[in-house]
Amino acid sequence: MNLPINSSEAELIIPELIMLFGLVAIILIPNLGKANFRIPLTRIHVPVFIGGSRFKSTNNPKLPNQISLIIFISALFFGLIQNSYGAIGETLEVTQFSRLFSLIFIAALLLATIATTHRLPARVNVKPPNDNDSENISIKKIDALIDNRRQVDFHIILIMVGLGMSLMSMATHLFMLFVCIELASLSSYILVAFHKESKIGGEAGMKYFIVGSVASAVGIYGMSLLYLWSGDLSLDALAMKWSESESVDPLAGIAVGLMLVAFGFKVGAAPFHLAAPDAYSGASSPVAGLLATASKAMGFVALMRILVSVTMPIEGEAFWYTAIAVIAVVTMTWGNLAALTSSNPKRMLAYSSVSHAGYMLAGLAAIGSGLGSEEAIELVLTAIVFHLAVLVIFKFGAFLVLSLLETEGRSHRLEDLHGLARRDPLVAGSMFLFMLSLAGVPPLSGFLSKFLMINGIVNISAGTGSSDASSVIDWLTSVEPVFWLAFAIVINSALSMFYYLRIGLVMFFEEPEDSRTLKDAFSLRLAIVVCAILTVIVGIGPLSDWLLEMVAEAINSFVSN
Amino acid sequence: MSDPLTILTLTPIGVGLLLLILPQLLPGNLASSIRKFSRNVSFGVSMALFAFATYLSFTTFGGIDWLGINMGEYELMNNEPVTLISSIGVSWIVGVDALSLPMVWLTALLIPLSMLVEWDAKEGHIFHPLILVMEGALLGVFVVLDLFVFYIFWEMTLIPMFFLILVWGGEDRKYASMKFFIYTFTASVIMLVGILIMYFHTGDVSGVSGTLTHHHFSLVEMNTEMIQSEGLRHLVWILLLIGFATKMPSVPVHTWLPDAHVQAPTAGSMLLAGVMLKMGAYGFLRVAVSLFPESTVVFTPILIFLGMASLVYGAWVCMGQTNLKRMVAYSSVSHMGLIFLGIATMQPLGIAGALFMMFAHGIISPLLFAVAGAFKHHYHTLEIGSMRGIAHHSPYLAAHMMLGWMGSLGLPLLAGFVAEVAILIAFWMSFGWLVLLPALTLIITAVYYLTSMQKTIFESNDRHHGILPESLHDEEPRDITWNENTSMFILGILTIVFGILPFIFFDMMSDWSTEFVREVLLNHLIEQGVKP
Repeated sequence: MNLPINSSEAELIIPELIMLFGLVAIILIPNLGKANFRIPLTRIHVPVFIGGSRFKSTNNPKLPNQISLIIFISALFFGLIQNSYGAIGETLEVTQFSRLFSLIFIAALLLATIATTHRLPARVNVKPPNDNDSENISIKKIDALIDNRRQVDFHIILIMVGLGMSLMSMATHLFMLFVCIELASLSSYILVAFHKESKIGGEAGMKYFIVGSVASAVGIYGMSLLYLWSGDLSLDALAMKWSESESVDPLAGIAVGLMLVAFGFKVGAAPFHLAAPDAYSGASSPVAGLLATASKAMGFVALMRILVSVTMPIEGEAFWYTAIAVIAVVTMTWGNLAALTSSNPKRMLAYSSVSHAGYMLAGLAAIGSGLGSEEAIELVLTAIVFHLAVLVIFKFGAFLVLSLLETEGRSHRLEDLHGLARRDPLVAGSMFLFMLSLAGVPPLSGFLSKFLMINGIVNISAGTGSSDASSVIDWLTSVEPVFWLAFAIVINSALSMFYYLRIGLVMFFEEPEDSRTLKDAFSLRLAIVVCAILTVIVGIGPLSDWLLEMVAEAINSFVSN
Repeated sequence: MSDPLTILTLTPIGVGLLLLILPQLLPGNLASSIRKFSRNVSFGVSMALFAFATYLSFTTFGGIDWLGINMGEYELMNNEPVTLISSIGVSWIVGVDALSLPMVWLTALLIPLSMLVEWDAKEGHIFHPLILVMEGALLGVFVVLDLFVFYIFWEMTLIPMFFLILVWGGEDRKYASMKFFIYTFTASVIMLVGILIMYFHTGDVSGVSGTLTHHHFSLVEMNTEMIQSEGLRHLVWILLLIGFATKMPSVPVHTWLPDAHVQAPTAGSMLLAGVMLKMGAYGFLRVAVSLFPESTVVFTPILIFLGMASLVYGAWVCMGQTNLKRMVAYSSVSHMGLIFLGIATMQPLGIAGALFMMFAHGIISPLLFAVAGAFKHHYHTLEIGSMRGIAHHSPYLAAHMMLGWMGSLGLPLLAGFVAEVAILIAFWMSFGWLVLLPALTLIITAVYYLTSMQKTIFESNDRHHGILPESLHDEEPRDITWNENTSMFILGILTIVFGILPFIFFDMMSDWSTEFVREVLLNHLIEQGVKP
């Protein structure tokens, strides 16, 4: 038999294979039942097991959730212990870089699955409403039944997102890259609109889908232009062709610009970020968390592939340097200013994630200035990837807290966070840690990543100031403008402090509207506490070292490619 | 990591966090018994740390010979660096010298005292452990010699203080805590840029440098010549100055202080005034002046301007205050101005005076805030004019108030006097008749203290009863409680002790500053044509 891949290649993509077979399993298993096939014209019944009345075990509505938990946990486990790398076919290559991002995506999806256990709960013993029920109870019962029915759908889509993202980080061919992004994006549009019975959910999904598909279309147009120009869409060939041409071909320039629109939408860069806050606030919190962490990371992988490995000239500044620098500053400032005025915590987190995209874009712009040595560029890339990795911990952590609140049907207003410290000190304390980490207060991991970013930019730029400037003004006028990106980040960090602190303030200060203790969602609570602990210990100490080294290795493999 | 300074720093943080978190995780019974004891445990730990710090100050590090006053070496006492984040070169290096030792002792002293003042604070099971965490962060700032870790501790002090103001503060606490946090956070992020620029000009030193970046944060390995460009050196100096001056605070960026002080609980004010303001001066001397002496010499006019402005403006605004805490807060601004002036003299005597000012103000201002807090506690108001004749109703409170105010206005034989005189003499030696301005300002200080003293403590229309504030609602005012009394008594005694015997720390400080001026500043002074 001729398998499409051999065993050594299969070994490389165990996490993805787990997700693939899991996808099949999660479609099949809940449908197993006592079905028989009667051979025509005879009385012989052959059991086929698909369909019919289902077995008791496969009828359990909790099953899909459990399957998907098992899939993500085992994928994460195998991803962590895997340390062989290599190419698979023409279009995929497993490197430390892609492995790291696979882990980031899978970790985010695992958190989303845990949160969904309580956010979209499956209830085993729910009966259809009967005539004796009051209207309220029958509505509740129907809701529960609907929730039970769509468990499978949700988890299938979740796994598809994982598969798409994970494959996308390995893609070495632009076409493959795009297909994977589309797989993940289309699935995430559905996830956003998953609560279609609520008005806001449907609207958010629709908006997100329309804007997203337009952005994708623009990107694909750019890609086709690029194909016209080079005749080959593999990243290596593109990079080769790019470095051969003396100046930037207008066609190629336009093509890359158009593709930036598509990827800019994914990372939430201004001015393509406008749909993001609506999508976040309309989606359920686990999904919003996914958009803010994994989806953003996916966008940045694409950006890094296009901007750094393809179009970055060996010497001098890249043609996109000014554009990205301006976009970075606008993005972070716009995000922060908008977050200041939003009173919906999910919108606020959405805007905060926009501003975080701005910080990372500033890092990319610093690379694009072409001033940095190879080492300095690696440092900035490390900062960006490290930031994307730790975002999963504390940004998703914040969304986990919101998920916990959402199980009571709240979290759309700042008031819903009021007095959380009195209702549940542990969760409120964790939330406060997440906020501080987002703001970049030491010694939390958010500080380390922001620190690395400023660090990298200063490293690239501070050397450019004239060394015989004898006064401050002389030096400031002689330094490259990249230096001011560091200042933009600093000022924006200070600006962002307001709204992060406000969350802490209302949690500890205001009277709760509802003083009942929060729902006892053990696994979700555990995930929140684990995230809080990781937020602290990834900030300083051996674990941060371990992660930094892993990121540095990943960047090494990315740059040497 | 078993050297005494590490233990001193990490114990309070560990114990404090444990006391805060454990009750959340344990089942009900166990949690409530921990809550019951956490106040006592915190106090016990802080007392133990104080004993430990005293022991270290007067034996191991100080080596005081009470007859000969023969001090030991003032070199930095390093442990072996322990790597924290190897890829970017962060290590754990601690050490003290005459600059930081008095501050360490002061912190260890003020923590139990401020706990004692607010012994009956509501939700004591959170309040006291928070102060304990605060102690660790403050001590960390003073002993750590790695700029990354220094910055971490620097920011870490904000969080407990933020909560102290937010939860236990006065009516306007929300605004005050936000303002406090954002002001100081912004300033320190700007400082961070300065630190990063320094970081990128450090060399590759094996053992402390990062494997990824080949730079390090160790202050011990940094030197004054690492940044080549003079303009950049000046820029870094200014960035650092913004961070440190906001913390001190100096005049244009002082506005967070009065709000924070007025709203903070008594213990918070005591720590804020006693230690947190000194972090600014300490950091300025430790980082900005030590590593950029040339910029310091070049920018001396800025220092003089900031110092003068703080001094005069602070004192002037004090005269108009009717709120007791606000008045003390502005007097702190004024005294911090004197510290800048002391540094600006570039004289051993001036710098030693500034150091002693840091210490003396660290004893006197907590006393003043303890008094103000007790006043608020027992009379339910902070308005100076609202009552007369405290001496009649609360003699102990009145006595402490007198002593504190006298100390603050610089009465001879009290701790503040020594520092003021040292700074003024040095200032006269450096700048001649310009000394008249700060000297005359001290008169303003005397004016506002004496008037408010007259208003509140003594003056009384009715010889026997005085006037009681309306906020008391005709209750009979009480004198301060035993815990407040003990705490203030200790501070008062120390004010007198260090006024009469300043050399306990002053000798060490002046030796250090002589050495400091000779080693660090002298060449640059000569270069700039300043007569040393």
